[in-house]
Amino acid sequence: MLKMTHLSKSFRTEVVETYALRDFSIHVRPGEFVAVTGPSGSGKTTFLNIAGLLETSTGGTYELDGEDVSKLGDDARSRIRNGKIGFIFQAFNLIPDLNVYDNVDVPLRYRRMPGAERKKRIGEVLERVGLSARMRHYPAELSGGQQQRVAIARALAGSPKLLLADEPTGNLDSQMARAVMQLLEDIHRDGATIVMVTHDPELAARAQRNVHVIDGQVVDLGEAPTLRMNAQAMG
Amino acid sequence: MHILPILHALRRHRLTSLLLVAEIALACAVLCNAGALIAARWTALRVDSGVDEASLAAIRLQGFDADDAGDINARVLQTVRAVAGVQSISIINTVPFGPTVANAGITTDADGRHFAGVVDFYVGAPGSFEALGLHVVAGRAPTADDAQPVHAFVPDEASVQIPRVLARHLWPGEDPLGKTFWVGKRRFHVVGVLDHLSVPGPGGGEEKDADWSVFVTGVPGPQFAGSYLLRAAPDALPRVLSASLAALRQAMPDVVIDEPYSRPLTELRQAYFEKDRFMAGLLLGVMAALLMVTALGIVGLASFWVQQRTRSIGVRRAIGATRRDILRYFQIENFIIVGAGVTLGLGLAVALNLALMQVYELQRLPWVYLPPTGLGLLLLGQLSVLAPAARAAQVSPATATRSI
Repeated sequence: MLKMTHLSKSFRTEVVETYALRDFSIHVRPGEFVAVTGPSGSGKTTFLNIAGLLETSTGGTYELDGEDVSKLGDDARSRIRNGKIGFIFQAFNLIPDLNVYDNVDVPLRYRRMPGAERKKRIGEVLERVGLSARMRHYPAELSGGQQQRVAIARALAGSPKLLLADEPTGNLDSQMARAVMQLLEDIHRDGATIVMVTHDPELAARAQRNVHVIDGQVVDLGEAPTLRMNAQAMG
Repeated sequence: MHILPILHALRRHRLTSLLLVAEIALACAVLCNAGALIAARWTALRVDSGVDEASLAAIRLQGFDADDAGDINARVLQTVRAVAGVQSISIINTVPFGPTVANAGITTDADGRHFAGVVDFYVGAPGSFEALGLHVVAGRAPTADDAQPVHAFVPDEASVQIPRVLARHLWPGEDPLGKTFWVGKRRFHVVGVLDHLSVPGPGGGEEKDADWSVFVTGVPGPQFAGSYLLRAAPDALPRVLSASLAALRQAMPDVVIDEPYSRPLTELRQAYFEKDRFMAGLLLGVMAALLMVTALGIVGLASFWVQQRTRSIGVRRAIGATRRDILRYFQIENFIIVGAGVTLGLGLAVALNLALMQVYELQRLPWVYLPPTGLGLLLLGQLSVLAPAARAAQVSPATATRSI
C-alpha cells in the first residue's frame, strides 16, 4: 500500500543543508494499522506530509497503491490525496465557516461526485461516527471529540485506501481520546489501512505495528505487543 | 457547483459581505447614471450643426443706433468684402453656437390651438443660405424673391426652410412642402426641407431637439443688422477673420465689436461646449475614482479573507482541492457578492434616476446602460479578486499539518 525506499527530505539554506528524513524506508501493507512514533523533531510530521503527498521528497522513491508518486505534479498529487488518502489531523482542521454536513461534503465535491451519492455517503459516515443529529451544527458548536469524529467522517467519506492520522487524540481529554481510538480500531477492523503518527506510547501500543523514528531515520520496526507491555509497565 | 457551500460560508461573514454588496450597489447606481449623463453630453458635443463650420466665422457688432442700421450694414459689407480671401460676407441674425436671438412657440393652425413646440429662427439676408452651406433634401433653397422685411425679429409672413426632424415632428408621415405654421398671426410657408440645421444653443433651451430651427430669408433693416456671416477657405479663415476685424476697427471706429461672438464657428462650438466637456471630464473622474475604490474594496476584502483562511485553504488543498479549485472558489465567491451588488445596484440606478428627474431636467435612464455597467462591474470584480485568489491557490497543502 505504502512503500518508501531510501527516501530523503532536506531543507537547504545558504549555509547549511538540514535533513528532516534521511535514507528513510518503510513498507505498509494493505489493511495494516501502523503507528509511527518518535520524539519531537524526529521527522514524524515530515514523513506524514510526504506520505500524504502534502510535500515532496528530495530523494528516494515513494510508491502508493502500486504507483510511483514521487515525481507527480501538483494536480496529480491533489487527485490522489482526494481519491486515495483520508487525513485526520491533531487540530481537527474542520472549516469553521461550514457546518458538519458541508465539511464532510468538501472532499466529495472536489471529486465531482453526483449530489445524490454525496448525500448518501455523508449520511452513512455521520451515522457511523454518531453525529447524524448534528449535521447542521458548526464546528465551534461541537466538543473536541465531536469535531475529531467529524474529521474522521470527512476522511472516511471518500472511501480512501489509506488513512493518515497525525496525533489524532493530541487535543482531546482521555475519555474522548479513548472514544476516538476505539473508532479508529473499528475502522481498521473493517479493512482500512491506517498510518498514525503519535508520540504517545499507549496509543502506539494499540496499533498492529510500530515504527520508531529518530533524527529522520527509522531505527526500530517494533511489534506492537512488546510496546503495549512496556506501556502498561510504565503506566 | 460550489455555490451552496460558499453561500453558507458567506452567511458566517454577513456584515463584511453586505458592506461590500452595498458598496458595489452604490457604485453601480452612480456609474449607470453618470454614464448616461456623459453619453448625453457626448451626443450634444457631436451635434451636427448642418452648416460648413470650417469655412465660417461670425462678426457681431454692439452699441449702434437702430436708425443707423442701414448705414452700418452697408459699411461692414463694403469693408469686409475688400479684405483679401473673403469668399462672402452676408447679414444673418445669429449662427449655430452663437446667441439665441429669435425663438418662439409655433402652432400648426391659424387659431393657435395646436401648439407644436418652441423653435429658433435664423433670419438671413440673400446669400447667407448659400454661405452657410446648408443641404436641401426636398423642395428648394431660398431665392432673393423670398426675402421679407423683418419686424420684431422675424418677418410677418415668409417662405421658409426647416430641417427634416422638425418637419417629421410637425406633420408626421406627411409631405411638409406647402404646409404652414404660425407664430401668433405670423405665417410661415415651408418651401424647403434641410438635412440638418441646429438651433444656436443646442441642448440648452426649450427646443426638444437640436434641429428644431427655421431658416427665413429677410431684408436687412433696423431690426436686422449688426450680425454677419463671413465665409473663407478653411485654412485661410483665421487670417481672413483677423484682417476683417482689423479693417472694421479702422474703418468704423464708432462701433464696438462683440469679441466673444466674433470668432470662427469652430471656436464658437468649442466655447459653447466647454462646460459640457468639463462636466463630462468631472463625471469621468468620479467614475474612475469610484471604480478604483470598488476594486480596492474587493482586493482588500479578498486579501483579508485569504489571510484569515490560510489554514482552511491548506486543509482544502490537503483533502483534494487543486490550485484551480481554490482559484475558482474565490472567483465564485466574488461573483456571488458582486452579482448581488450589481442586482441591487441596477434597481438603485433606476430609483436614483427617477429621484434626480424630480429635481433636474434629466431624461429617463435608458436601459441599455444597465447591462454593460453590470457586466463591467462583474468583470472588475473578477479582475480584482484574481491576485488574492492566485495567492490563495499558492498556499501549500502542508499548511494543514503545521501547528499555529
